[in-house]
Amino acid sequence: MQKHLNDGELRAALDGELDARSLQHLETCTSCQMRQQQLQEKQREAGRLLAFFNPAEQTAPSAQRAWSRLSQKIMLQKEISMTKKWFSFPLVRFGFAALALLTLFLAFPGTRVWAGEFLNLFRVQQVQVVSVDFTGLEQLTGDGTLGNRFTEMIGDSVDMQQEPSEPVSVASAEEASELAGFEVRIPEGMTPSQINVTSGAAFTFTVDRAKSQALLDEAGRGDLVLPESVDGAEILVNIPSAVSIGFGTCPIPGSEVSGNTEQSTIENRYPDCVIFAQIPSPNVNAPADLDIEALAQIGLEFTGMSTEEAQAFTSTVDWTSTLIVPIPQNASVNEQVAVDGVTGTLIQRPSGEGPQFALFWAKDGIIYAISGLGSNAEQAMNIANSLP
Amino acid sequence: MKRLKAESAETSQDESRSFEFERLFMEHWSSVYRVLHRLVGDPAEAEDLALETFLRLYRETEKQKTDGMNAGGWLYRVATRLGLHSIRSWKRREHYELTAGRYALEESEQASPAEILARQEERGQVRLVLSWMNERQSHLLVLRHSGLSYKEIAEALNLEPGSIGPLLVRAEREFEKQYRALAQEE
Repeated sequence: MQKHLNDGELRAALDGELDARSLQHLETCTSCQMRQQQLQEKQREAGRLLAFFNPAEQTAPSAQRAWSRLSQKIMLQKEISMTKKWFSFPLVRFGFAALALLTLFLAFPGTRVWAGEFLNLFRVQQVQVVSVDFTGLEQLTGDGTLGNRFTEMIGDSVDMQQEPSEPVSVASAEEASELAGFEVRIPEGMTPSQINVTSGAAFTFTVDRAKSQALLDEAGRGDLVLPESVDGAEILVNIPSAVSIGFGTCPIPGSEVSGNTEQSTIENRYPDCVIFAQIPSPNVNAPADLDIEALAQIGLEFTGMSTEEAQAFTSTVDWTSTLIVPIPQNASVNEQVAVDGVTGTLIQRPSGEGPQFALFWAKDGIIYAISGLGSNAEQAMNIANSLP
Repeated sequence: MKRLKAESAETSQDESRSFEFERLFMEHWSSVYRVLHRLVGDPAEAEDLALETFLRLYRETEKQKTDGMNAGGWLYRVATRLGLHSIRSWKRREHYELTAGRYALEESEQASPAEILARQEERGQVRLVLSWMNERQSHLLVLRHSGLSYKEIAEALNLEPGSIGPLLVRAEREFEKQYRALAQEE
């Protein structure tokens, strides 16, 4: 004789999911039938409350329209993957992330207004670091809903005129100079292990105030209010070709190793890798009446500065000529150093948190950055001081 | 020549993958959307979350073939997780309660505004309780009451079909306990 049914089996019977043998027992067992009735009584209220999940009469939006939206998202994801690949080389990623953030941190005096409504506002002459709390930025660049919305907004707002190419490997500084269109410098007495050229990119970013404000609100920073005047402003960004020169054993640009491997593995695998990147100053054009100083203030406050700190910072920076490099708060030390006849910034970070050192400076319209995965920041100074 | 052949084979594989993905989308779009709509109460948000679910499936198909994959179960599991995660955000929940109320008014022609309001409050509390509960129990309740069979639920949640009955009993008891506690608080 079969034993009595347990609550789970009785529940399955109510849902028409009980196997035939157990069902046969239930049909003949009064004790199980009584317990099933009690279970049904107990379950009735939960069933009533959850009944609205039954989708019987509900229609869904057109699958064709949804498919079209999804296809656009997939295309956008592919474009972003390409861009990510472009930034996958460690130094290129670290150094050029600053350029991507640059558009948020620009301001300019009215004296530089060109004829017409646009202003050529930016040419890098110096580099300055700013300590930021990356938590806010990680929210925007991560895989969460906010990150996805940010990605979508960027996708809707950016019109790419020129896509960056995959890095092209060349054999000499001369070849790199010819391909990149500026004079590439190689330190004397040092032999590079690789030289790569990445063609430039050009895009127009159109500010959508409503979407940007909604993102700030959703990130819990509704206290930061974007000026109405930014809506619809077009910012034209032209990033020239860049050259990266590797010394020691370095990852190949665009390879799986450089793009997808954990940072700790990269450090173990390439402890002596030092990369020297060179790129002419990008051109950034924006409408003359765009209050970029206010945007810079909001950007700084979003990254954790108080209103007073952000005001103090924005008032001391010459936004027309300064490349702002964001570095993580409390995780880096930076110092001003004399390099290549100008003042540069040397950043050192604790082990396990990305490149261990990076040296930035700008000279004659070219931005230079040297970064390494080892612990000896002297290497960067030696390279910089050996330049012809 | 070999390289050309390899590239051609790769292109053909890509096309086949795209075709298979579109087929999966057309097959499951409506049901995934409906689960999400009931879960979050806001049609626009449900549509966004449903698209996000399929976008994640697309990324998954880039990593592995869908041949041996139970795409339907995978979609339900991810959609429910996204929906529950979304209603956990208090800011959004406030927004959902407002929009869900508005849509309920538009949908219900026969009920009085007072009845609609009471129903919406009740649904808001149900969503709240689901978002508080253990994730597996919430998934079980949402999927079962959305009409999935035990076999489908078992596939979606990587469980044995025989375990669904007992787990549902426990989940419903827990749900009722938490719902009562919430009702007493208010």
